Amino acid sequence: MKNILKYISLLTLTLLLTTSCEDFLDVNTDPNNPTSVTPDLVLPVAQKYTGEIIQWDRYVSHLGNMMMYNWSQSDGFSWYNDEFLYQVSSSFYQQIFNVSYRNALKQYQILDNLVGDEYANYRAISKVMKAYHFQLLVDFYGDIPYTEALQRSQEATPVYDDAATIYADLIVELDSAITLIKNADPAALVPDEYGDIIFEGEMTDWIRMANSVKLRILVRNSDVDDVSDEIAAIEAEGTGFITSDVLVNPGYLKEEEKQNPLWDDLGWDVGGTQTLSSKATCATPYVLEWLFTRNDPRIDYIYENPENTDDPNNFGGHVGVIQGLDQYDSPVVDAYVPEKVSNIGPGILKGATMGANILSLAEVYFNRAEAAFKGLLPPGDAKTYYEAGIAASFDYLGVGGAAAYYGQAVPLVGWNSSTNQELEAIITQKWIAMNGITAEQSWFDYSRTGFPSGLPISELASTSDRPVRLFYPAGEISSNGENVPTQPDAFTDKIFWAGN
Amino acid sequence: MKRNVFLTFLLFVFVGFNLHAQGYEVTGKVTSAEDGSALPGVSVVVQGTTIGSVTNYDGEFSITVPDGEQSLMFSFIGMTTQVLQVNAATTLNVVLEAATTELDEVVVTALGIKRERREVTYQTQKVVDEDLTVVQPTRAASALAGKVAGLQINVQDNGVNPSNQILLRGLRSISGNNSALIVIDGSISSEGAFNDMNPNDIAGISVLKGATAAALYGSRAGNGALIISTKAGTAGKTLTVGVTSAYTAEQVAYMPDFQTEYGTGWAGAYDNIENTNWGPRFDGTMRQIGPTFPADHPMETQIVPYAPVKDNLLGFYETGDTWQNTVYISGSRDNSKFYASFGDQRTDGIVPNDSYRRNTVRFNASKKLGKLEVSANTSFFNDYTDVVGSTIGDQNRPLYWFVLNTPANIPLTEYSDWDNPLSYGYADNYFNAYYQNPYWAIGTNRNMDETSRFNGNLNVSWEILDWLNFTARAGTNTTWGNGKNWRARQTYDPALQPAHSTVSSFVEDTKFQSSSYTADAILSAEHNFDLISVKGILGYNVNAYDYSYLYVRANNLSIPGFYDISNGTGSPEVSKNESQTRNFGFYGDLTLGYDNFLFLNVSGRQDWTSTLAPGNNSYFYPGFGLSFVFTDAIPALQDNSFITFGKLTASNSTVYNDLGAYAINEIYSQSSGFPFGTVNGFALSNTAVDANINKEKINTTEFGLNIGLMNGRVWFDGSYFMTNTTDLITNTTPSVSSGSTAFLTNIGQLSGSGIELSLGGSVVKAGDFSWDLNVNYTHFETIVDEIYEGLDEVSIGSTGEYGIYAIVGMPFPQLKANVYQRDPQGRIIVDPASGYPKTETGLAPLGKTTPDFIVGLNSVLRFKGFSVAATFDYRGGHVYYEQGSDAMEFTGRSMASVSSNRQDFVIPNSVIEVSDGVYEENTDIMISGGKMDYWQNVYNEVKSNYVKDASAAKLREFSVKYALPQRMLANIPVSKLSVGFIATNPFTWLPEENRFSDPEFNNFNSNVIGVGGYFQSPPVKSFGFTVNVEF
Repeated sequence: MKNILKYISLLTLTLLLTTSCEDFLDVNTDPNNPTSVTPDLVLPVAQKYTGEIIQWDRYVSHLGNMMMYNWSQSDGFSWYNDEFLYQVSSSFYQQIFNVSYRNALKQYQILDNLVGDEYANYRAISKVMKAYHFQLLVDFYGDIPYTEALQRSQEATPVYDDAATIYADLIVELDSAITLIKNADPAALVPDEYGDIIFEGEMTDWIRMANSVKLRILVRNSDVDDVSDEIAAIEAEGTGFITSDVLVNPGYLKEEEKQNPLWDDLGWDVGGTQTLSSKATCATPYVLEWLFTRNDPRIDYIYENPENTDDPNNFGGHVGVIQGLDQYDSPVVDAYVPEKVSNIGPGILKGATMGANILSLAEVYFNRAEAAFKGLLPPGDAKTYYEAGIAASFDYLGVGGAAAYYGQAVPLVGWNSSTNQELEAIITQKWIAMNGITAEQSWFDYSRTGFPSGLPISELASTSDRPVRLFYPAGEISSNGENVPTQPDAFTDKIFWAGN
Repeated sequence: MKRNVFLTFLLFVFVGFNLHAQGYEVTGKVTSAEDGSALPGVSVVVQGTTIGSVTNYDGEFSITVPDGEQSLMFSFIGMTTQVLQVNAATTLNVVLEAATTELDEVVVTALGIKRERREVTYQTQKVVDEDLTVVQPTRAASALAGKVAGLQINVQDNGVNPSNQILLRGLRSISGNNSALIVIDGSISSEGAFNDMNPNDIAGISVLKGATAAALYGSRAGNGALIISTKAGTAGKTLTVGVTSAYTAEQVAYMPDFQTEYGTGWAGAYDNIENTNWGPRFDGTMRQIGPTFPADHPMETQIVPYAPVKDNLLGFYETGDTWQNTVYISGSRDNSKFYASFGDQRTDGIVPNDSYRRNTVRFNASKKLGKLEVSANTSFFNDYTDVVGSTIGDQNRPLYWFVLNTPANIPLTEYSDWDNPLSYGYADNYFNAYYQNPYWAIGTNRNMDETSRFNGNLNVSWEILDWLNFTARAGTNTTWGNGKNWRARQTYDPALQPAHSTVSSFVEDTKFQSSSYTADAILSAEHNFDLISVKGILGYNVNAYDYSYLYVRANNLSIPGFYDISNGTGSPEVSKNESQTRNFGFYGDLTLGYDNFLFLNVSGRQDWTSTLAPGNNSYFYPGFGLSFVFTDAIPALQDNSFITFGKLTASNSTVYNDLGAYAINEIYSQSSGFPFGTVNGFALSNTAVDANINKEKINTTEFGLNIGLMNGRVWFDGSYFMTNTTDLITNTTPSVSSGSTAFLTNIGQLSGSGIELSLGGSVVKAGDFSWDLNVNYTHFETIVDEIYEGLDEVSIGSTGEYGIYAIVGMPFPQLKANVYQRDPQGRIIVDPASGYPKTETGLAPLGKTTPDFIVGLNSVLRFKGFSVAATFDYRGGHVYYEQGSDAMEFTGRSMASVSSNRQDFVIPNSVIEVSDGVYEENTDIMISGGKMDYWQNVYNEVKSNYVKDASAAKLREFSVKYALPQRMLANIPVSKLSVGFIATNPFTWLPEENRFSDPEFNNFNSNVIGVGGYFQSPPVKSFGFTVNVEF
């Protein structure tokens, strides 16, 4: 009996050990990571992602610069083989697809999912920026996941939607963003300068941004679709377009992981060392010659002027390398080492703290010039917009003398000297203005218009012209195989807006 | 719920234990034949009755025997059962012999409970201390390779502080942990603690191969368990003092098989500053390498023969040294036992300046106080690692990269004087314009780490009644440490090194602590009723785990050589990572025996865990097993001298794999770069989580056969197992367009199966000569049955060009890579314009990365004091990704790159597609760029070129030892002296196509198995001596 008491006391003790078991187990709250945050902490991240997707090494603008013969490779580097081979594969620049969805669009979608009138402005910003990214994705890939995209655990395998249908819906979304802003309750939250690192919460600027993105979409689409009503609607809306370059800047600093993305990858690291990518990347003689022979002062800003050169084929001291060069050491040994070629210039790489350009004022002017030239805007304004575009480019690069430049009686420079080749002049000047900034726009223009004409292709190309699109990434083939379309022909299957 | 479990137990405990008898009393003492010590706890039963007793602490018993002719049966775990006629004697002294046969052997099962092998309803295998220290390994895990059927040990690298992967019966989970559970002296511990043990302190390891064996451990039991017992001191030996010392020398076993026909250059032309081997064919002429020094520079331009330097990379590696000394003391007296040891290991690695030292201290003691036995097992460990950094140069590359980027004509060992400005090894003077001198890398990049661990537990065992025991056990496994990694800044003279960028400096400080606490309370009872034996266990187990990690990094240091966070410029990077988990469970285990030949085991555990949502956080693990000793059951088999023992087992259990801490919620984290001043930002995780995420279920069925022939001289163990994992907790790969790159959910089904066969015994036993041989064979395979609707594969680690996948209908893990397009006859389809091979747009599955089979062979020859032991294993039927060859293709060092003498050529056995589906042999369309571009840009892009047969045969251990005979020791105060020659991995055989490294090397200790060879150094072998002296 005594023993039995012992057992009972033992068991009681054991039970006591766990009486507060729910408390004991209540340790599943992550001390390092929150499970919800306010929208002003979400938006800056999304916007910073946007800047990175456009400006990072081997992302959107970089690809445009390679495809449009703006950039080449210095001696001693094997940096751009795939680009020079036009090796469009399921891994080639797959980061554009992957990172757009998994970084920027994911983050913007959090804001678009907000429920309640107080979030109208955040939702509007989200819609504008989603449209901006979705258009780029269509321009690179054609059909993409759209209607079922970004639903995370709710839809692991989104269907691919028709590119032209997406284009049409982006206009609807942009219109609804404008409506949201205009009808927002005065009490609705507006991000401050810490929450909106593009326009610092200036909602009118967001309407301008929406209109500018609409214009980009409509002009791109203007060869295959009648967009006159929609462009007229922008005019009728009345707020107009952006009035300065659209820059993302969270407060870039000359510190690790805090520098402007283009500067950090293709400029100088925090310790003041020129990065390998910066050394590896340089001008092409074709572009240098184009600029040099047309007295374009921007040559010293788009490209660096090396201190000394060994190459007899230089343009005011500027040296470029043809894309896909085989023998770097002939005729002159070491003529193309990084120190002796024109790397990316000071107008593009302004400093570690410069904003990341995601939509340039020059581009909007050139888009307006094209619309005007096509009669979608008052046609007499084409020249004005064209020259304003050139001037905006000069301004962005920090160089004076735009009027003298476009005043030359040189075809594709002076408007009046470009009679019957106005569109070519617009697209060609846009190509120069986008060089090093948002050069992907010129690649799209090239697929659509064939301008600038006579642009060389890489020596390593086995095709007669550059690609017109990208392949779907390998990850889509394995994770969304039932929906992803068969890989197109990267050289002949143009995106719908380019016709065929 | 809890109360009900206990009521059941109370009922079971108090079922009729009141025995009344008439007759006369027999008393006596039971002792051990081995050392004459008293044997407590021996079961004494009057045969054919339910009358029983147990010996007391002094081995004495008293039993009332009914009148008439009676026999007493004396049985004790680990001893041969004896039956003696009483013959009316009132005193009976009995000497029990240690069991020599397989079936009477003691098996340490879950929770440290000892059972006779005949009772055990699942498969286990024991590895004893001497098997673990044959070659005095620094890590006990490596000594298990080849010795246990069903166990795969992967030695994942060969650094001074190597890591191992311990897999039992392959993989059961796609994303979850597949490593075996480690239990030390009865308390749940960790693989780290196992690696940190001094192998000399281990008394034995019981390998519980399947989930059923380990089910009582709850959610971590699914992968089987290694039950490790440490040395405790031997009863009867008052004091033993011993020293075990070993010295081993490590050497590179083999270097990658590289071409030695072409040297420094690019695109076929000689280039004096290249890291690549695309120059002209070697011609022996004297040529400049490295920079051209200006006229006023004190250095002269370096001129070397344009000819291969024999073993130029091999010479970089040194002979490593490892000294190990262990001093131990053990003894017993007056119901006390103790074991204490101090171990010291000092290693200099094969990489110059890599060093490692560690100290281990163990103190185990136990004491019996009446019916209480108290024991404590404690160990303390401290190590210090100082190795070359892992992110070297401006491209953050591993050291091996810099060694491999040395062309065949470079006399690498001449560059060791790296910090002398008048040496060719100096940064500005080095020949290679793109990658730095590996000697420089060693001097300017260091990773240092100090780690300590306390591992110990306290056991109290109370023998409440003869048949009832209560054990309480509390243990901790706490490890803490700090690390410092630094890289020095390096600038270059642009005139000498125009292509180099400044290498930036940094210092990183890390600090971590991980503490796990575990406690058990176990009530066990046993009793024999005539033919029926009952053994029951009820227990409670609780675990708590806390982890914290602090990381600080400062960049671009101001003062050279001063590695402190304060020396950084800009804001330091700081992060903190903490986690906590808790779980507890109640368990019960009941073994019913019938006539000592048939046993039924039923067990169950109810667990509660902190990592799942309240209300959904409890689950039950049932297990069943049967053991049938047919040699005792079938009269015709009894007393035959050939098949002396035979047992069949069958078991089934269900266990669940738990989720990690905090994994049920989607989280935000501060985004990279933020905060920018006052702008802060948080990003939503790329892992989406199923709102209904739950545990995964593993069901295991096992059948076993154990046979002992000729009184255990030859034995055979065979088993067949099937595992079925459902509701797999898997990080599936959704379309990235879903806005996430991983989706954590319960999906699909994996089914595994395999067989294990072991045959062993004494081949020859003649006088002083004996030869013991043990052969084991393991085959296992895990097939992915389903994932979910619309998804037929999951990537668990992929670059997009190659990776490891789980694919429906195929063995897991599966290696996929991009492949050539081939016609129906398997010929490569080439582009009619370029002659280049066409590749498929997707990746193709190319084989599994865990072996199809493992054959292990252990042999021990003994003659008088000599013994020769060898362990060999052969693994095959799997593939691996030779990452090093892939990385080196660019440099023109591969054998493939010289296969066409650097000329353009027609791809052998290739075809062109002349019309849709019609192929014609390609006889004349040559590829271009054979001098370089083809290899770099075309061949190197087809990653299936680097998928290689991972088969390997290794002589893992070899030793020759001599123990001095006792008569020679008679006149000196030494009781034991042995000396030996030892070797680890002295021979490795690899298939011809594997030209790079050890296929066992792996980048990650995870399920991403089969990608390696580039982050590790070359494979090593070691030779040395060991001495053991006891006083």
